[in-house]
Amino acid sequence: MNPLILTIILMTVFLGTMIVMASSHWLMIWIGFEMNLLAIIPILMKKYNPRAMEASTKYFLTQATASMLLMMAIIINLMHSGQWTITKVFNPTASIIMTLALAMKLGLTPFHFWVPEVTQGISLTSGLILLTWQKLAPMSILYQISPSINLNILLTMAVLSILVGGWGGLNQTQLRKIMAYSSIAHMGWMAAILVYNPTLTMLNMLIYIMMTLTMFMLFIHSSSTTTLSLSHTWNKAPLITTLILITLLSMGGLPPLSGFMPKWMIIQELTKNSSIILPTLMAIMALLNLYFYMRLTYSTSLTMFPSTNNMKMKWQFETKQITLLPPLIIASSLLLPLTPMLSILD
Amino acid sequence: MLKIIIPTIMLMPLTWLSKKNMIWINTTTYSLLISLISLSLLNQPNNNSLNFSLMFFSDPLSAPLLVLTTWLLPLMLMASQHHLSKEPLIRKKLYITMLAMLQTFLIMTFTATELISFYILFEATLVPTLIIITRWGNQTERLNAGLYFLFYTLVGSLPLLVALISIQSLTGSLHFLLIQYWNQALPDSWSNIFLWLACMMAFMVKMPLYGLHLWLPKAHVEAPIAGSMVLAAILLKLGGYGMLRITMMLNPQTNFMAYPFLMLSLWGMIMTSSICLRQTDLKSLIAYSSVSHMALVIVAVLIQTPWSYMGATALMIAHGLTSSMLFCLANSNYERTHSRTMILARGLQTLLPLMAAWWLLASLTNLALPPSINLIGELFVVMSSFSWSNITIILMGANITITALYSLYMLITTQRGKYTHHINSIKPSFTRENALMALHMTPLLLLSLNPKIILGFTY
Repeated sequence: MNPLILTIILMTVFLGTMIVMASSHWLMIWIGFEMNLLAIIPILMKKYNPRAMEASTKYFLTQATASMLLMMAIIINLMHSGQWTITKVFNPTASIIMTLALAMKLGLTPFHFWVPEVTQGISLTSGLILLTWQKLAPMSILYQISPSINLNILLTMAVLSILVGGWGGLNQTQLRKIMAYSSIAHMGWMAAILVYNPTLTMLNMLIYIMMTLTMFMLFIHSSSTTTLSLSHTWNKAPLITTLILITLLSMGGLPPLSGFMPKWMIIQELTKNSSIILPTLMAIMALLNLYFYMRLTYSTSLTMFPSTNNMKMKWQFETKQITLLPPLIIASSLLLPLTPMLSILD
Repeated sequence: MLKIIIPTIMLMPLTWLSKKNMIWINTTTYSLLISLISLSLLNQPNNNSLNFSLMFFSDPLSAPLLVLTTWLLPLMLMASQHHLSKEPLIRKKLYITMLAMLQTFLIMTFTATELISFYILFEATLVPTLIIITRWGNQTERLNAGLYFLFYTLVGSLPLLVALISIQSLTGSLHFLLIQYWNQALPDSWSNIFLWLACMMAFMVKMPLYGLHLWLPKAHVEAPIAGSMVLAAILLKLGGYGMLRITMMLNPQTNFMAYPFLMLSLWGMIMTSSICLRQTDLKSLIAYSSVSHMALVIVAVLIQTPWSYMGATALMIAHGLTSSMLFCLANSNYERTHSRTMILARGLQTLLPLMAAWWLLASLTNLALPPSINLIGELFVVMSSFSWSNITIILMGANITITALYSLYMLITTQRGKYTHHINSIKPSFTRENALMALHMTPLLLLSLNPKIILGFTY
């Protein structure tokens, strides 16, 4: 793509999210969402093939529906409260519709069906933007309306998301679909704690973005999109396999890596609020996630995947440069001792 | 405690910066020095704990386990030299780094004061062990073994996390030194029953309890020698240590909640001992023997009498040394014949007489021959379980008999009789191997002279 055009489009995506996060007028927020959506469609279609077209269309349809639902919730809120300012949404109908709309944007169950298919159809870099940057805007709105969200709906969606994210990823070998299901599960964790302590949602979002960025960067390095092609990384760059191991274990939430921190904090917050069965269930279901991450580590770093003798000489894509890998690795694996620094997120 | 933890952490840069011909020498020497430092912890003047800081402490229960942990690292390094000799230098260094990392986490686990910190480090020991088992194991079953190991432990320990956090939110602190003084009886209710279960299941899986022991034969058999040693000697004892610490908070539910686990342990020890008589795989035999000995420890911990605690602690240390030694002996067989089948390498006494002496000593301590500390541990457990309920003496007696049977079966099959003709060209025992066995046996024999130090905090 022409670099100038790419710059303009990326700036529009950035600006859209910024408008969503910084506005206090509901209409501006809706405008921000639409700007974001329209500008990201060309990014999703960077490779012009029918699969990418299908993915972009699915993305556009779901996000546009969600935006319309959001608009309806805004109008109902306007009708009942008479003003356009963002505060907690007092009317329960508006609040429920807004929660559902934002859940559709994030990819929470039962609105998760678009996430794997869209992520699979687009290139790795676009998938990276889709799974990290696009989650910021809806999450910031959820953060702002968090006092008024109906707990039953949100918790149901959260628990179902963790279950679907874990269970759905079990049968996948395509890396982008694995990352998509991982995203669904992590969104579930973030949604679960939203009403109790929104700061932890932000913490989880931060750590999740670090880890997803790291994973995608490692995939982009060898341009591998399937488990099979990832298993060839030991040939050209054995260090990458170690980094994949560490990051995947961190995503699975194993102590002492930093992926454990959001899970621990969320479990702590939920337990303090006297719900005991819920965090236990969530933690057990996160083990499903760990299973397919372990399978990925088995094929990449912990074994030498079965390959023919001349696999070492196999032609592979030229390795791309990974931006900012060391800070990302540190952030996605070694942050656990910094847990007392959580207070800066308030 | 930092005087032990920081040198252990620094073992990792030591391996990466050592030259090719010095890595084993450097790491073994320094880890031996660290174990000498940890011996000073055994000097506990009064009945209280030695409190080093707000985060680390050591009391008569954790000090022997700590000394065992630090003693075992040089032994693991010595045992791994042969099977790593053909690997490239970087992989050797990675292996030693994994061992050093595991050692750091283990030391911090045994000396942690805050129970949540104990939990985090308990889970953290899983990651290096998993990597050692799956990356350096020898057969394809090691993948399955790693998964079973990881998931059994995690499913058991996630409820523990929730339980610890809920106890903290109810009582205000999980600092160990405070809990022992604040202790109140747990009120009787359904949710407290689940709390009891949540707290104990993690350690039951780790011990392992008979019904949840499926991961252990897989993990022990598939792990390389250092992995087997550390699993059998230390990681199982993490479960015992955790149980001993946490049952303090869980009275009076333990009086009735312990019954199913006591039944499972009492029956399980007979069952696993009996299975040992039918094993063809040498490492599998030693693994099931570990389950059987640990079942005794579970019985002792759940009975909660002073003598049973003494027996549990002594049995843990004794079993750690004995079972690690048996794995080293099995590994010396494996390195020569590349097979774990017992009957393929028979009659080794004629070929390797000194190793036969070590086999004899290891088998004798495994069957708890007096006056070894194995006997002291088992005897205390048998006596305290007899006082708890007279009928258990039948099961305990049966277990001791069957333990003797399979230990002698293992000894006779591998050592006595005519040697098989295809092993008459095996290499003689290395000095390294003899040193390894001596270093296992010497503490075991010396401790029988002064078992007071391993009898734990109820002595």
